Amino acid sequence: MSPAPASILRDTPPDGGWGWAVVFGAFISIGFSYAFPKALTVFFKDIQLIFGASYSQIAWISSIMLAAMYAGGPISSILVNRYGSRPVVIAGGVMCGIGMVTASFGNTITHLYICVGVVGGFGLSFNLQPSVTIIGKYFQVKRPLANGLAMAGSPVFLCTLAPINQFLFNQFGWRGSFFILGALLLNCCVAGSLMRPICPKPTGGQLTQTNGTPKRPTTDRSEAQVNGHNTQLEKGCLENFNKFLDLSLFKHRGFLIYIVGNAVMFFGFFAPVVFLAPYALSHGFDEYSSAFLLSIMGFVDMFARPLTGLMANTKWIRPRIQYFFSFAIIYNGLCHLLCPLASGYGGLAAYSVFFGIAFGMVCALLFETLMDLVGPQRFSSAVGLATIIECCPVLLGPPIGGALVDTFGDYKYLYLMCGAVMVFAGLFLFVMNIYNYRMLERERRQEEGQGDESEAEETKLSHA
Amino acid sequence: MLAEKRRAEIMSVSVAFIGVLMLHLVSSQNDTTQPNSNPKESPNLPPPPTTLSPTLAVPAPDTPPKEPSINSSDHIMLPTDHHSLPITLQCNLTSAHSAHKESFWMKNGEEIQETRGERANTEYYLKKPRGEDSGEYMCVYTFDQAPSANATIEIKAGPDIIGHKRSDNKNEGQKALLYCKSTGYPYPIWTWRKLDNGFYMDINNSSGRFFINNKDNYTELSIINLDIDSDPGEYQCNATNMIGTSSIVSVLRVRSYLAWLWPLLGVLAEVVILVIIIVVYEKRKKPDDIQDAGPMKTNSTNNHKDKNLRQRNTN
Repeated sequence: MSPAPASILRDTPPDGGWGWAVVFGAFISIGFSYAFPKALTVFFKDIQLIFGASYSQIAWISSIMLAAMYAGGPISSILVNRYGSRPVVIAGGVMCGIGMVTASFGNTITHLYICVGVVGGFGLSFNLQPSVTIIGKYFQVKRPLANGLAMAGSPVFLCTLAPINQFLFNQFGWRGSFFILGALLLNCCVAGSLMRPICPKPTGGQLTQTNGTPKRPTTDRSEAQVNGHNTQLEKGCLENFNKFLDLSLFKHRGFLIYIVGNAVMFFGFFAPVVFLAPYALSHGFDEYSSAFLLSIMGFVDMFARPLTGLMANTKWIRPRIQYFFSFAIIYNGLCHLLCPLASGYGGLAAYSVFFGIAFGMVCALLFETLMDLVGPQRFSSAVGLATIIECCPVLLGPPIGGALVDTFGDYKYLYLMCGAVMVFAGLFLFVMNIYNYRMLERERRQEEGQGDESEAEETKLSHA
Repeated sequence: MLAEKRRAEIMSVSVAFIGVLMLHLVSSQNDTTQPNSNPKESPNLPPPPTTLSPTLAVPAPDTPPKEPSINSSDHIMLPTDHHSLPITLQCNLTSAHSAHKESFWMKNGEEIQETRGERANTEYYLKKPRGEDSGEYMCVYTFDQAPSANATIEIKAGPDIIGHKRSDNKNEGQKALLYCKSTGYPYPIWTWRKLDNGFYMDINNSSGRFFINNKDNYTELSIINLDIDSDPGEYQCNATNMIGTSSIVSVLRVRSYLAWLWPLLGVLAEVVILVIIIVVYEKRKKPDDIQDAGPMKTNSTNNHKDKNLRQRNTN
């Protein structure tokens, strides 16, 4: 293959340079998105006393925030498709800030639900999707590493936000803290301003990115377009995207496999994290030791994510990254299945370490695999659709786990259920990806056959 | 006639004399047993149950059947060093008009679980008595056709404060609540003091904002409409009863209403400065950037292209 030099080369992602600044910006955005709802729980006990509400009413704040964050996916995808990542992230940061500031003036629980839950949650979703999307635009070769580094933002921010929140609450009370947190969330705008827009590859690059879905003839057309003026290319930056959500993704085989596998997996993904501390308490350990287990997990998670990204970047794993993802999920499931056998604090600590590694591996690969299946062009729509479908199992998982614990009075069944669900999801993804890879090989060979023919024609024409 | 009168006189005097003698004898026996029941003199031995029974009224000849009499152990005082040997409270129903139905123990007016039995000689065993075990214990005997009989044994202990709020942070104008909880019997008298120039002084309630609420072993100090100048500081709650005294300190901090304003402005300033720096940096590089996406890139991406193709083929 000897394609025309100027067009495709111009549009390969930089894989470095300003890309690392973008990774840092994404690190901040993703960190806030995932860690903020969890770190807010520090305030709940005291807000509960002040508002005179029950614990479940207060816990709804976090749930609404998470739900809005996942449900806002398609909306932020549409906006990213239309306007690019930077304006959306800045708007998201401003929304979060306004949400928290108005919440600090509230006097009722409903006020908190709306300001923190809905407005804050949507603001965070405008942070999450574009950050993940823009990494795909800036990186190709080092993309798994970049993804791993960016996703490491979540545990880092969780470990720092929780003590900061406690300190703020002691110093300033909950109203002052919310005000200051609103200002801290404006740092997302700083992260957003780092996300300089970049012109993506035209559809010519799509052949290799999306593993063979578009057909060859379009390459010729877009090459002809691109060989024109520079200004046209700038306009082409936005017009190359789908203006609305790319719903044809639902016909994409890889995307469907990903959705089904992940939806099943998320049922058992977050519940063990939520119940780790109560499980340790039920074994008779004191509150601080139980909370320390979570810290161990978070600390290990912090390092597991970039390391997984590094591993996934190697030339042995990168081509088979879907298998690596399935392996990570199965490993996660096995950890949970073996957890009831852990006895004593040492056993639980060992479980926390292994769980931290497993959790980090899955999170680091979560978006990387989707990008690998769908390609950076359609990724923004894909991630929006994926998050709104995953919204259901993410929110239902912990309450179902809680119901299991209440019915059987033993945490053992919760861990068995989560482990079984994860192992099943992992095996499903593994088997389906074997099938998918085979189909992709077949399609690629077909196209290469066609491509060789049309290239032979081109060279004949150009020489003529 | 006179001789008879004289004889009657002598008889009454001697009866009176014997009566006084007996009374004296009885009361001196009471006195001699009292010091034995004081653990201060024999701290390591639980006092032996005495044979003297705090019987109820001496029956008059024509009253209904004798009231039940119970032998019970003496009142106990727990040592202040909290290392007390096991205590056994004993009650023995020595005489009653009918057979009793049940016996059980009560503490501070509430029945103690699993002490119901049918024995006349009932015991309550405390393996490691602590401050919270102090109180007023009663052994109760119930009868079918008569009211129940009981005897009281007090376990006294000095107060020991077991619960308090170490510190409280509140905003100006809000209400603060400090509390202290203690063990000990008899229930202590509570006093609250505030640290002022190195001494704990009684609280000055000229502003009428301080309210103290005491109930047995619990006390609460509430301060309404907190004032940032006079209210912050260390408050001491003091519990005193006839045996001992105990006190503990809580710290009250009052936050200024606008304390959060400075950090807020600081964070806002930081955000604005960073955004300005990034935007300015970008504007200065902008002319280069567009070229970056153009020919310049072609040189550097030659290698990338090959690497990418290799990657993609193996995909």
